[in-house]
Amino acid sequence: MQAWWLVPFCKTLHYFGIAVLVGIVGLVDLRIFGVAKALPLRPLQRLMPWAVVSFLVSAASGYVLLRINPANSLGPPVNIAFAAKIVCLVLVGLNDVLYFSTGLKRQVDGVGAGESTSASAKIVAAVSIALWIGVVYWSRMMTFLAGAI
Amino acid sequence: MHIVDILQQWSDTNAFFIWLRESPSVWAYPMVFFAHTLGLAFTAGASVVIDARLLGAAGFVPVAPLARYFRAIWIGVWLTVVSGLVMLGSDPQTKLTNHLFPLKMLFVVAAIALTAALRGRVASAGVESNVPPVLRALAAMSLLCWLGAVAAGKFMAYF
Repeated sequence: MQAWWLVPFCKTLHYFGIAVLVGIVGLVDLRIFGVAKALPLRPLQRLMPWAVVSFLVSAASGYVLLRINPANSLGPPVNIAFAAKIVCLVLVGLNDVLYFSTGLKRQVDGVGAGESTSASAKIVAAVSIALWIGVVYWSRMMTFLAGAI
Repeated sequence: MHIVDILQQWSDTNAFFIWLRESPSVWAYPMVFFAHTLGLAFTAGASVVIDARLLGAAGFVPVAPLARYFRAIWIGVWLTVVSGLVMLGSDPQTKLTNHLFPLKMLFVVAAIALTAALRGRVASAGVESNVPPVLRALAAMSLLCWLGAVAAGKFMAYF
């Protein structure tokens, strides 16, 4: 039997980690779309290690929550919201691999103050925003769709 | 009659809130809750990152242009507040009598006020890397209030 505060504490860490992550992704992606154009993209993208740390905080606290109550996310019955959340996270990973491996990240690093980004950078940013919104949506739906199938 | 009872009675007989509570549709209550979750995630997350910059972290990011993000943050605030009020309206008694609710509201109101106070000050911060002490103090309070609001929101379900 764990302490009563362990679950809400882990949920706080889990949500706060996602919030900072979505905050950083939002700031970078919005700049790629032309918001706050006076910011050069190179320093902004240097915030990415922070996003990785936030992800690790969320992943670790999420793992603890999963271990405390595995049925909530893993079922049975299968929680389709949790499955969809993991699919979104895998797609986020693929999108990031694409962003770094194609040299697009380096190209965006060269976008200075007042300059616009390429169409391909905007597409990757749009996919990134859509997938993170998906992660949050399916996280929320885990409560409502538990036991749906 | 107590104000909480009046609100509860109004909610119990209001067609919109009856639909919101009783509809099995994922477009009803779950969508409002999702809007709240997403709005707060971006608002709190982006605010905390800007607060951290003002407190001296990530010195390589220029401060003044960050002011342009406040319009998006403000949209997030509205999304969170409106969806929060709708959820409050659908279940006033449970939420208003929760012992953590006043604390959460204190954090939220303070965080929003600090966001408003920060907006203009960030815009006029200039390009030099040293942030004025007043701005740092506001940023520190903002960071604590957003963290407090998130924690209070999560802990409310356990009180």
